[in-house]
Amino acid sequence: MSEVSVGDELPTRRRIVTREDVRDYAEAGGDQNPVHQDDDVARAAGFPGILAHGMFTMGHLADCLSTWAGDPGAVASLSASFRAPVFMGDEIVAGGRVVAIDQDSNVATLETWVTLEREGRTEWPIKRGEARVRLA
Amino acid sequence: MNASLVGKTYPEVPFLVDPDRLVAFSRVFGQLSGVPPTFVTVAEFLVFPQIMGDPDLHLDVRRVLHGSQEYVHHRSLIEGETLTVRSRLASIRTKGGNGFLTIETDLLGVGGDVACTARSTMIERGESA
Repeated sequence: MSEVSVGDELPTRRRIVTREDVRDYAEAGGDQNPVHQDDDVARAAGFPGILAHGMFTMGHLADCLSTWAGDPGAVASLSASFRAPVFMGDEIVAGGRVVAIDQDSNVATLETWVTLEREGRTEWPIKRGEARVRLA
Repeated sequence: MNASLVGKTYPEVPFLVDPDRLVAFSRVFGQLSGVPPTFVTVAEFLVFPQIMGDPDLHLDVRRVLHGSQEYVHHRSLIEGETLTVRSRLASIRTKGGNGFLTIETDLLGVGGDVACTARSTMIERGESA
């Protein structure tokens, strides 16, 4: 990757979350928490229905980063807090911005996020996440 | 939760970077080759049932949600390699009526090198939440 500058924004990556996606993630990721699979369990926990795994949302963000970097192995570190639930039918939008570049190691530090629009409001399933990406 | 368990380590388990599992995982997110950075969580979840179900921990798994996640990748995982998964209870806190359990996991290569360190924080939601 050439010519990366502080302030650059990643191309956003969006997807509409479906039950099938979340079921596939539960299988592939190994997190079988029923709050992500059974509406009755989710309602008992105070949600309107099942929610996506935080790791589904973070995996989508990682895909956005890997696509920008051109190689998933370039992602040296990644962190995020899961701040808002993602429900079926929500459209999640992953993005990020380069906030620093270490010239010696050629590693970019990025602020990352995932947003969605619900009832006219912007929700932040991930806000102020951080990633370090090797540029060379 | 029983905060006196902080520092407890759990039996190591092997983790094969299984090509079929990798394909299934990658398909959920995209078409890129290589190992997605969050694939490490597959290894974490091999150990988590044992930790979260530890009878001494007193964690109510029915109230658990994943709160936050961090990875430091020292190197890429290699398709087909077998790593050792080593987990410890890094912290247990209570805040605002919720419990927070942080599990730190190292993935070790055959030579003992740390390929990746992952930190997962699980939230045990308060009874009234």
